[in-house]
Formats: sequence, C-alpha cells, structure tokens
Amino acid sequence: MLCHAARVTAIELREVVKVFGTVRALDGLDLVVEQGEVHAFLGPNGAGKSTTIRVLLGLLRADSGRAVVLGGDPWRQAPQLHRRMAYVPGDVSLWPNLTGGEVIDVLGRLRGGLDPRRRAEMLERFELDPRRRSRTYSKGNRQKVALVAALAARADLYLLDEPTSGLDPLMEAEFQRAVHELKDDGATVLLSSHILVEAEALADTVSIIRAGRVVQTGSLQDLRRLTRTTVVAETARPADRLGEVPGVHAVRVEDGRVACEVDSDHLQDALAALTALGVRSLTAHPPTLEELFLRQYGDDVAEPAS
Amino acid sequence: MSRGSELLAGTGPLLRLALRRDRVTLPAWLVGLGGLVVASATAVPAVYDTPEKVAGYARSVGSSPVSYLMSGRQPGLDTLGGVVANEISQVAQLGVALMVVFLVVRHTRAEEETGRAELLRSTVLGRHTATVVALLVAGIAALLLGATTTASMLAVALDPLGAVTYGLGLALLGLVYAAVALVAAQLSSSARGALGLAGAAVAVGYLLRGVGAVQDSALVWASPFGWAQGLDAFGQERWWPVLLLLGGTGALLALAGWLTAHRDFGGGVLAARPGPTRAGRALLAPLGLTLRTQRGLLLGWGAGLLALGALYGAVLPTVPDLVASNPEIAQVFGASADAEQALVLAFLQYVHVFLALLVGAAAVAVALRLRSEEESGRLELLLSTPARRERVLLDAALVTALGVVALSVLAGLGLGIGEWATVSGASVTDAVARVGDQLAYAPAAAVLAGVAVAAVGLRPGGSALAWVAVAFVAVQVLLGETLRFPGWVDALSPFDHLAGLPGEPFAVLPVVVELALGAVLVGVGVVGLRRRDIGS
Repeated sequence: MLCHAARVTAIELREVVKVFGTVRALDGLDLVVEQGEVHAFLGPNGAGKSTTIRVLLGLLRADSGRAVVLGGDPWRQAPQLHRRMAYVPGDVSLWPNLTGGEVIDVLGRLRGGLDPRRRAEMLERFELDPRRRSRTYSKGNRQKVALVAALAARADLYLLDEPTSGLDPLMEAEFQRAVHELKDDGATVLLSSHILVEAEALADTVSIIRAGRVVQTGSLQDLRRLTRTTVVAETARPADRLGEVPGVHAVRVEDGRVACEVDSDHLQDALAALTALGVRSLTAHPPTLEELFLRQYGDDVAEPAS
Repeated sequence: MSRGSELLAGTGPLLRLALRRDRVTLPAWLVGLGGLVVASATAVPAVYDTPEKVAGYARSVGSSPVSYLMSGRQPGLDTLGGVVANEISQVAQLGVALMVVFLVVRHTRAEEETGRAELLRSTVLGRHTATVVALLVAGIAALLLGATTTASMLAVALDPLGAVTYGLGLALLGLVYAAVALVAAQLSSSARGALGLAGAAVAVGYLLRGVGAVQDSALVWASPFGWAQGLDAFGQERWWPVLLLLGGTGALLALAGWLTAHRDFGGGVLAARPGPTRAGRALLAPLGLTLRTQRGLLLGWGAGLLALGALYGAVLPTVPDLVASNPEIAQVFGASADAEQALVLAFLQYVHVFLALLVGAAAVAVALRLRSEEESGRLELLLSTPARRERVLLDAALVTALGVVALSVLAGLGLGIGEWATVSGASVTDAVARVGDQLAYAPAAAVLAGVAVAAVGLRPGGSALAWVAVAFVAVQVLLGETLRFPGWVDALSPFDHLAGLPGEPFAVLPVVVELALGAVLVGVGVVGLRRRDIGS
C-alpha cells in the first residue's frame, strides 16, 4: 500500500536526467512539492516542463535520477498511482467522434467513476456544451473537457500542464476559483504555466525551470526576499549620486523622479539616502513574479549557464 | 482576369512546400511501384521466351475469368507486349490510383483537419490553391509512374506505340482518381473519411471493369479503369478514350472547385449533429472505447468486403460458360466437366486469397490506430488514468482479432450471397462453405495484424514496417508467379503455407502455427510497449 502520512512529499525528483537523442531535455532536475500545496512550475517553451510532467506520469522513463510521486515509483506503479492523480495535458487531443460528455465519462470510468453532481457542476461553471462532437471543439473547449474530467475526479494530486492557455479571461477566473477549492480540500496541484499572473494568484511555492534544470525554487515570499524591491521617489534635490549607495542598482533619474532597484537587506540605507534628498513622494513594491522570472532569465543571458 | 489569379495566388510557393514535404513519400511510391512494374516488365520476356510460350499464355490466360477480373480484357495477349501489360496491370493500375488518393488527401483534407492549412490560408493564398497544388503533385507522380512504365517497356524492346499508349493510360487513370480524391476531400470533414470515400471509388471502378470484362459487357465503360484499358495498348491503339479520361477529370475538378467555394473552411458538406450528453453503457463497457474508435473503420471495410464478395459471387455462373465458348480451355484442362470444375475452383481460390489479403490490410489499419492514438496525444491522456499499457494494447489486439473474424465472415457471406442469387441450384450449404473457406484463410491476416501490433508496441515509428509487410504479401500473392521469387521468399508470405481451399484438403497445422505466431507477435508488442517511452 501507499502510505498516507500526515505530511508527505507529493512529488520528489532528484537529479533527474532525460535525453532524447542529442537533446538533454531534463539535465539534473530537482523538484520537490509538499502535499497540500499549489506549486507553480514556470519556464518558457521548451524548458522541459511537459517532459517533467510526463516523467511524473510514468509515460517517460528517466535515464537517471530518482523520481517519487505520492510515495511510489511513477514508472513501475503508474496504474496504482494514477488512481490518485488527475492530469490536464497542455495540448488536448480528444477522440473526434465522441462528444465532450462521453469523453468525460470514459475518462471518469477509467479512473474508477466520478461524482455526477460534481460533473454537472463543473460543466455548468465552465459553460461547456457536452453534446458536441470533439472534432468540432475549439482548443479552449477541448481544454475545458480535460479540465472538467480532471476536476470531477477527486484526486490527491493534480498535474496541470498549461491548463488555461486556450481559456478566455472569464474561464480563467473560474479556473482559479476551482484551484483554490482543490487546495481547500487538501489536494496538491502542480501547475505548469508561463502565465505569471496566474501563478502569482494561485501558487504557494514556485520553481523556475531553464534548459532542463530548476534554477530557482521556494515560496513566493522567499523569492521576493532574495531579490530586489523597486523604489520610485520624487526628491527635492537631484538624486544623481544615489547609485553610490551600496545595494542600489539600475538608477534612472528623470525630471526630479528617481527609479531604482534595491537589494532587500540594503533597503534601510537607500531610504536614508532618499530622505536626505527630501522625499516628496515614494512608492515601493516587491518584485512581481514577472520581474523575478525575467531577472532569472536576464542574468542567465548575461552570464551563460555553465 | 485578376479574380482568377487571386483564387490561385501562392501556387508556386505552396507547390514547392508540398514537394519538399513529400521528398521521401513521393520517391518511395515511385520507386516501390515503379520498381515492381520494371521488375515484372523485365521478368516476363525471360519467362515467355518463345512464340509457343506466348501463344500458350494467350490460350490459357486469355480466356481465364480470374485474369479478366484482375486485369480486364487486355488486347494483344499473343504478343509479348500484351503479356507484360496484362501481368503488371493490376499492380500498376490499382497502385497509381491508390497513390494519387493518398497524395491528394494528404495535401488537402489532412492539412485542413490538423489546422496547418489554416496557417497557410492566412497568408496570401487563393481559395483553390491547395486543390490545384494537390492535383499538380498527384499529376506529376502519375506522369512519372506512366513514364517509368513506358521506359521499362521500351527497355525490353516491346512495341513502342503500345508502350507509350499504356504509360499514357496509366498516367491519365491517375489523374482521374486524383480528381475523385479532391471531391472526396471536399465531401468529408476528416482525412480518414476522405480516404475511405476515394478508396471506395477506386474499388468500385476496379470491380466494375473486372465484372464487365468477365461478362464482356459495356459495364467496363462505366469505370475509369475501363477507359484507360480502352486505349487498347498493344492492340489497335485508339485515342478517343483519352477524351473520356480528360473529360472525367475535368468534370470532377469542376465539382471539387464548386464544393470548395460552397462550404466553410474546415467543414465538410456533411454536417455534424449534436450527440449524447452522457456515455452509454456500451461505451463504458470493457473494449467500449476501442470498439467505438474503430467502429467507422470496421463498418466501412465490412460493407466493402461484403459488396466485393457478392460481386465476385455473382460472376461465378459465367465462369463455366467460358469453357463452352472457348474450346481451347477444354484442351488445357481436359474433359469439359473437369475443365469447368477446375476453372471454378481456381477462380474461388483466387477470390478467397484476394479477399483475405484485403482483410489483412484492414486488420493492419485497425491495429495501427494505436499509433495515431499515440501520435495525437490521446494515448497519453488515456494512460494518465489507471488504465494499464498492456491492457490498452491487448484491447486493440483483441478488437483487431475480432475484426479479422468478422470481416472474413462478411467477405465469405458476400461471396455466398452472390453465388446463391445467381447460380441455379446453389444452396445454403454452399454459402456456409464459402464462409468456412474464407475463415480458413484468416490466419494469414492474423499474422499481418500481429506484425502491426508488434511494430507499434516496439517503436512509435514502427507502423511503416507493417505496411511493408502488407505490400510484400500483396506482391507475393498477385505477382509471385510472374516474378518467380526463390522458394524462401515465397515462404515468408503466410498465404504460401495455407491449404488452397476449395479444392485442396484443409490442413490444420499451418493454421495453428500462424495463429500462434500472431499471438507471439502480440506478446512482443506488449513487452515492447511496457518498456518504452510514450511519445506524442
């Protein structure tokens, strides 16, 4: 049996390598997701997000490294583990001559049955017409079929691979509500995405993947603390020499306004320097996920990855 | 006129793209088909190396109903050119027709279905450009095949006028069926449906010509195959059937163009209706999903094989007539009654093997659905549930096996019904015997299906191997006597080992061995699928 301890790690990947021909799709990837958390898995196209998820599903066998999902080996115990997992592919392909409703039922049956009330509720919330043949669905509607099938399944672990790339903003909001409910029910969610606003709204923890490796991981708060705060101020005297203050970067002065980025542990020094110049207005905000992400990639572009 | 040029805008770049995409497919078709034609055309003169042998061919084959059914009434059988043309016509004519159908659907409906065409249509591309490009690609392929045939005939010093006429007929036949496929691509909203429609049109044309030839009736003129043969290559060459071939092509092209202009992009002429909200019990039962995804394919092949069997059965009563009308057959086969009997048995054996070959091809198509399931990503979705890999493969294998049995029964039943309807004195027992004999050939189809299951289990890209196996067996069955393979090559074909029913006594051992081989191949597929990555 698979164990159900109070606080188990839902996903644990250590030094996972997967090579396709000459391409190292996963190059020593580490990923840890604790049970009950919503974990955003961020990275641009081709970074290895879908490959990682396929390893977690046991569709691909890792060439080396350790993979544990819900306490089991995803390659050897796939069918047992899948009883407790639900998956939404990034590019959903359905059986063209089946209706959406039929697909949901078939997948539900294979997972050992689904809750009819929850099925009906999800169909309504995602405004999906289940009578249409799959071949007539748009990309967004195919995605909704897979989402409804997954959300109606009552799983412990949800693997969602860019699940909202075809949804409109209203459905996107509905999706976010649904993920919050999953979290409230104690489920674990791995959300692969490159829509950072979505990840920011949903995720407790974040991993950023680049070229098959996780380059940054932790809670959003941790990540923010590790990086710089953006400060914009209007000062009485010109702030030309602000750049000399330790921990202050990227100073831009324009019409008596100064914008800069400050290392979190030098915030005190920067504010003192600004105060000395006579502050008329001041805004400071922690870095958005987008800034974190771009900085991660920006740095790596500046100093190529080893 | 600027409007006309707008409708065809972008033809040049799109044609280059199409040829670039086909840089493997197109040469493969041409080398494969052309190679067979060249091999046959060069093998025949070596076998029929004296005028006596050619005269013997004209006497026996020239009055054989099986030959009429396969190749029509080829003129000039008392010349080497006529013999070569008769020997290659089945592979060359069916080959060119199927080649253009695949090429056309690949460049029209398949592109539209995958959404790639949408991307292209958003550029400066006319409404009819894709149609014209598909026609050009298929036309080029058909012309090259015709030219190859003519060249190989000239190389073995056959009558030049006959060689050119025969090659021209082949190329124009290809053109007609390219136009047929273009119409089919407009009618159906899926590539599979379009292939099915156009493939059915090839089968109907081939059958009408064959049945018309056996009856020696005007029915042959209802078929493009009959038009191409109507050029009378190696007989008294005549040119007016060219007008039929070109006229038919033109009319079909006009229809395809009209349909293109009167339907929505991405849609077909046959509209989709709303379906059920919930899955029924049949779909949720074991094998339910597999059966549902295979339903269309199996029903299509089943209807086709039933009809084909019935047509062959209906031809049966005319077979003995040939003895009466042609005293030379009696000389070959001995006494009149014996000759009749021998002819009927030879005819039935050929029909059974040919139908079983088609059952095998259908089984391979059914088994290879697993490949398209994987390619599309549906297998990934399926395997993200607790469904086991081996279960998915075994389900597919089981449905394939059931399909082999059901299609064999339908083909044999068709034969029995056709015979019962036209032969006076035919009883239900005869129909049962036809079904039984057809089933006795089913193990060969099971071996082919096993190859497909093993190939798709072992490697995601292994499906081509299964079609190579089908092609080899088809060549062995249809052309083996012409090409004279070494014994061990013939022995690779599963048909080579089965008893020739009716006529020969039923042999249990080869049936058991071939069924066991099929099962082992499925096992190989299971082991392969368990060990490998699932791709998309």
